Amino acid sequence: MEQRRERQGAKGAARVSLVANYALLPGIPDEMIGPDGAVRPHWRKLIEAFDALGRGELANRFERADQYLRDAGVFYRKYDGAEGKERGWPLAHVPLVIDEADWNRITAGLTQRADLLERLMADIYGPHDLVKRGLLPPELIARSGEFLRPMVGVKPASGHYLQFCAFELGRGPDGGWWVLGDRTQAPSGAGFALENRVATTRALSEIYASMHVHRLAGFFRDFRDTLNAQARGAGGRVGILTPGQHNETYFEHAYIARYLGFMLLEGEDLAIENGEVMVRTVSGLKPVSVLWRRMDASFVDPLELRHDSRIGTPGLTEALRHGSLSMVNALGSGILETRALNAFMPRLSRDLLGEPLKLPTIATWWCGQPAERQHVIDNFDRLMIGPAFSTGLPIDDHKATFLGARLAPADRQTMIERLLSEGSSLVGQEPVRLSTAPVHVDGELQPRPITLRVYAARTANGWSIMPGGFARVGSTSDTTAIAMQRGGQAADVWVVSDKPVERVTLLPQAGEKLVRNSAGSLPSRAADNLLWLGRYAERCEATVRILRAYNARLAELSNPDLPILAHTRAYLEGIGVDASLGMPTGLLGAIDSAVHSAAQIRDRFSPDGWLALADLRKTSRNFATRVQPGDDATRAMTVLLRKLAGFSGLVHENMYRFAGWRFLEIGRRLERGIQIAGIVSWMTGEEAPDGALDMLLEIGDSVMTHRRRYSVSAGSDSYVDLLVLDPLNPRSVRFQIAELREQIEQLPGGVEDGHLSAAAKMALELHTDLRIAEPEEMTPAKLDGLSFGIGSLAELIAASYFV
Amino acid sequence: MLYDVRLELHYDYDALVHGDRHLVRVVPASISGVQRVIAASLSFDPRPKLETSFVDFFENGVTSIAYDLPHDHLDVRLTARVLVEDAGRSADLSPTVAALQAEIAGTWSLAPQSPHHFLAASPRVPLSRAITAYAQESVERTRSVCAAAMDFCTAIHRDFTYDKEATAVDTTPVEAFGIKRGVCQDFAHVMIAGLRGVGIPAGYVSGFLRTIPPKGKPRLEGADAMHAWVRVWCGVHQGWLDFDPTNAIMAGPDHITIGHGRDYSDISPIIGVLRTSGDHKTKQSVDVITVG
Repeated sequence: MEQRRERQGAKGAARVSLVANYALLPGIPDEMIGPDGAVRPHWRKLIEAFDALGRGELANRFERADQYLRDAGVFYRKYDGAEGKERGWPLAHVPLVIDEADWNRITAGLTQRADLLERLMADIYGPHDLVKRGLLPPELIARSGEFLRPMVGVKPASGHYLQFCAFELGRGPDGGWWVLGDRTQAPSGAGFALENRVATTRALSEIYASMHVHRLAGFFRDFRDTLNAQARGAGGRVGILTPGQHNETYFEHAYIARYLGFMLLEGEDLAIENGEVMVRTVSGLKPVSVLWRRMDASFVDPLELRHDSRIGTPGLTEALRHGSLSMVNALGSGILETRALNAFMPRLSRDLLGEPLKLPTIATWWCGQPAERQHVIDNFDRLMIGPAFSTGLPIDDHKATFLGARLAPADRQTMIERLLSEGSSLVGQEPVRLSTAPVHVDGELQPRPITLRVYAARTANGWSIMPGGFARVGSTSDTTAIAMQRGGQAADVWVVSDKPVERVTLLPQAGEKLVRNSAGSLPSRAADNLLWLGRYAERCEATVRILRAYNARLAELSNPDLPILAHTRAYLEGIGVDASLGMPTGLLGAIDSAVHSAAQIRDRFSPDGWLALADLRKTSRNFATRVQPGDDATRAMTVLLRKLAGFSGLVHENMYRFAGWRFLEIGRRLERGIQIAGIVSWMTGEEAPDGALDMLLEIGDSVMTHRRRYSVSAGSDSYVDLLVLDPLNPRSVRFQIAELREQIEQLPGGVEDGHLSAAAKMALELHTDLRIAEPEEMTPAKLDGLSFGIGSLAELIAASYFV
Repeated sequence: MLYDVRLELHYDYDALVHGDRHLVRVVPASISGVQRVIAASLSFDPRPKLETSFVDFFENGVTSIAYDLPHDHLDVRLTARVLVEDAGRSADLSPTVAALQAEIAGTWSLAPQSPHHFLAASPRVPLSRAITAYAQESVERTRSVCAAAMDFCTAIHRDFTYDKEATAVDTTPVEAFGIKRGVCQDFAHVMIAGLRGVGIPAGYVSGFLRTIPPKGKPRLEGADAMHAWVRVWCGVHQGWLDFDPTNAIMAGPDHITIGHGRDYSDISPIIGVLRTSGDHKTKQSVDVITVG
């Protein structure tokens, strides 16, 4: 067998094929190698191509895929403690290849299953016929935490409860696919499937092109068009409802929002007005007609669902009763994930659809019934036991689901007692054995168990099944499904055809109308975060500049008690920065705040900008562990200054001049105006010691200009002139105000029929004051007033656009 | 018995509140054979921008109010005239607790009154081994569901001290059980937790008590505020019966029902979400006067 495989794989190549050392697990079907020991036909092209590349080049290619994922900033959040950590997406580089005929069976089976789930959902939240007819035990529904009573009797606005589902599949020993679980609450991972595809094809572009792999874009395009059509019909927008940046799959929410052109919304972005759902934008409330929900239903409305939810929108349930919003999926759909329901699926299929399940469900016995309970007790050692009402997949649930045979004798006894006393809380399930597929480990292919996640979206033509998805690859060679709990990697799934496939893109097609989103769609929260991102980034820069000037002098003078140093330290203290530390915590805090603001709006600026910011934070934290005041800190501040400039450059040069960019820019200008006015006031006051003016010039990055513009130094007036009143110095206060004026006038409602908004008027007043001011009038008191005035302008903007 | 009910809820906010919404469940229900609401009027100050009403899953009437303008207080006023019928006490037709399990299993229904909704832990009532063991004593001392419920109701009244200072609105039944103190809400939650623990469906009732007792009768505990008690499913024949553990009696003509749910969270008088940084103070006054 080994020899045969070697011949097969090594065709056309002189070296030993990658499959030569691929050691199958006894009795376990493999995706790549058929029962005859040969590479299956639909895998041959891929393996031949791998062998043609050779081990070294293949490893390089896979590194290219990883590099792509790092550059794109693809992450998910993993919660092992209280604080979730961002983890890079664990791509398994070898795609799982599935042939079209096999895939067609999956498609037919999942289409049927999605229909069945829709019918089941409609009954659970409708007439309860299945319970009345004795087909579904009422306890199974009533005890579920996902049975949301306020939704009973509420008809979905779109006519359908389910519009987007996912399924976890495994291939059993008989070679057929089994459904291990249904994901109907808020299925995640479709965006990761897309990123998997992009990364994998980066590595294997010519192989991908030659293999007739079904494209994923059509699936997303059809679903996008379906939701847009629903929204257009109702006169509103489509939003993706996310719990926010701390969610484990927030990256994906932002990614899908950007990819499909939907608004990324959090609960607090929404308001209910007269029973309609509105989004708070910088142009006021705008209607939302479709919400693609990526958070658990019970959190979306603290008034009628979980009272302790802090991420919901009060009144959303009422709006749904009103029929003014289409929720994808309907609230309460999580109940379909209840593990014990699997026990009833075969019977429900025959009853509701009049046909048997096309794809079998993992065999399940709900121990709330005497006969089933007895079966589980009798077959304890052959079954997997778990919580009946859990909505987690058995393969994800390592805390509560276990194999009967692996229990210690004492635990075994306790469990059997529990089965007898509280059987209805438990299920027994067949511990499915999975098939294996190749993963690339240390230059070789090794078989690992896999499960398959497949997505179904409802379109105008019924259910559409994504031709692909992603495969979860086990971290060990243990093929019992339950072993997948221990994490692993995710591989792209290639569904291959014999014939060329349709090429699809999300770019507008010929004849398709181009739709432009207007600037007014910017949610207030996003605008608020953008403004603060601008402010914090600028605050960091201002602080870094002062610290650099301070530390340079400290290194030179080596006496921290000298008046100019003490005076500068006092200023820094006033803004919460302790200059006795090489890397003051106040500065670290400002950097964290910038990252925090940016993290909430990742759908709105480039991955490069995000990576630059993340890099800045990493560097500053690293500095905090070792940098000493003086020379060391001077060098460190120079490094930070360059990184900050890199971030600003990336953001400002690459961001479309949308309302979003304007808020970022306004934030930056507000902060710079406040900072410059503040430091000029401090350094030109009566108490300012010798050397303060030189220090000021350095902080204001204006040493050269000052030398060029003023031949004779005339006290502090020339400094004030340059740093406050000069219209051409990009660091002067007047320059900031002029920019602010321009940007504020271009905000929604900034100038309407010749009338200025309140903020635009205030900016004009500030600007006019500076235009007519003389340097000698700009006393410290006047400068402090100016700084206060800019602060008031910031408050007015917040009150006008963020409430 | 004919009553005039008057309720005032007053909320004082430390900071101005805007964009808030509330759900209010204070209007007595008309229940066939138990009580009939002759007239009821509910008003709010300041006047809400929007006021709508609906019936919730458990068939309680709910008033939904929304504000958009800033305000620093909220007054809820209810006046109602309610006729409460004295159904009298019927014979105990309830099965044993063991036999009740078969009756529950034979109830293929998810209707609002189905016992299935009232057996599992609910948002405010987790099941507790200690409270279940406490209720089990009542089951062992008696021979029917109804008798067990009355015994448990009496035990709680005997073992717990009525103490308005000991607990707050968010006290859990386990905490109240630990200190054996509390008010009607705590007693009701403990009783519900215990009954569900031993397999008896139990729900939470919100309502009012007659303020001044009939001649020669003691004034009932909890009559100066909104009251809460427990309803127990006593089998197919007897259905739901109400027990008041605060006063160790079955609810009767002195009890006026607003509505019911699995626990306080389903039928709290007012649920509100405020967008404010400040705290608030609450005042409540209740008068239930017999008419004629």
